[in-house]
Amino acid sequence: MTKLRMNRAVVAALILLLIQTSVVPWLIPTAWGGRLLLHLPFIMTIFVALLGGRHRAFSFGLGFGLLEDLLFYGHMIGAYAFGMALLGYLIGLAFERRLNTLAYVLLLTGIGSGLLDMLAYFVYKLFSLTHLGAAFVFYWQVLPTLLLHMLVALALYLPARRFLVKHIASAAEEAEGA
Amino acid sequence: MIGLILFIAIMGFTLRRSGLTWPERFVNDAFGTAQGALYRPVGAVAGFFRDLGRLSDVYKENEELRRTVARYTQDQIRYNDIENDNRRYKEELGFTDRQKQLYSYKYAIAQVIASGSNPYDKTIKIDRGSRDGVKPRMAVVTIDGLVGLVSQVSEFTSTVMPITELDSTSSDTILISATVSGKEQQVFGIVDYDKENGVMRMSKIDENANVAEGDIVVTSGQGNLLPKGLVIGTVLSNQVGDFGLTHTATIAPAAKFDHLYEVFVVMTPDPDKP
Repeated sequence: MTKLRMNRAVVAALILLLIQTSVVPWLIPTAWGGRLLLHLPFIMTIFVALLGGRHRAFSFGLGFGLLEDLLFYGHMIGAYAFGMALLGYLIGLAFERRLNTLAYVLLLTGIGSGLLDMLAYFVYKLFSLTHLGAAFVFYWQVLPTLLLHMLVALALYLPARRFLVKHIASAAEEAEGA
Repeated sequence: MIGLILFIAIMGFTLRRSGLTWPERFVNDAFGTAQGALYRPVGAVAGFFRDLGRLSDVYKENEELRRTVARYTQDQIRYNDIENDNRRYKEELGFTDRQKQLYSYKYAIAQVIASGSNPYDKTIKIDRGSRDGVKPRMAVVTIDGLVGLVSQVSEFTSTVMPITELDSTSSDTILISATVSGKEQQVFGIVDYDKENGVMRMSKIDENANVAEGDIVVTSGQGNLLPKGLVIGTVLSNQVGDFGLTHTATIAPAAKFDHLYEVFVVMTPDPDKP
């Protein structure tokens, strides 16, 4: 089953991270600036978990989470590295148990995105760096971001699959589909 | 479990640290280059479309600007006069060179190259680093007002923490001492940001101080952290604070914190230099 092109996944995630930090802020309207916070490397982590298994997703999430934390180092490092590594592993575990339909991928993207943001919130709460209420955070930021993540995952699903999976396998799948 | 403990340790360790190790600086700079190449053109395109939408307002804005310029020229004449007087007084009173240089700030222009998407660690990156003389905790402003403080510096880029991240109850916060423009002698307060309502608060104002709606809040320069006279925002309302002894004012921030394009790093003269 491990037919994933890991080096391609890394390059794609790097490019997506650049797009996320430098292009996406311009596309989001001012009123929604603090509410829609896209994490494109997280979506890549989900694809890696789907196509490459939980151990790869774990290291992938760890690496890119750490990179993201490092690039935007305000208070501390590690919240997103921890969250993305853990969720990469858990989502990989979930994919191994069941049939991997598109709807299931989207469902897990939504749940994973919600868990990631809430996890980050609780980490910051633990270190008393934020004093917002959990319900407010969920409504204000987590829910819109979750829906946006599902949309982006839907949009990226087919291109990512074509780009990441080795050619022989993808040709077989196309034949199946046709 | 071991991983969890390790991560808690890393988070705790990086919590109150200032300064970066070389791998961090390298990663920051390497990414900064690519981000800068992307952020600027995209910003230009986005700005173009926004400008198209605002075309109808231009006439009104032009009118207003003309009036402002007229007022400004008058003020300039008065300012020059007062400036000359001030310099003469300083000579007569025997100010040292250090005291004279204290309030001559340098504004270094910087391009924003990226902005982060961590909701509890909102940061932006600028393309000036320690090579250009940027140091941690320098103030960053736009033409509208104070935006934030430099939090981390690497060679060619640095990270700016917006003042919207300042939380007076947080464990590693920085307090900004502020005053009201024109009433510097009587008003003093401490400014932080109220995330749930999206406004800034100025607390610990003396109850006899006269703070009214529409007053412009500026940094006071006391505490030697931030330079003096940077605009923070305008007062929306002023009411009795938590314990009834002091007043708390709500402030609308002057600067916008997203879609930033060009910012200025305010460089203060080094007080330790002779």
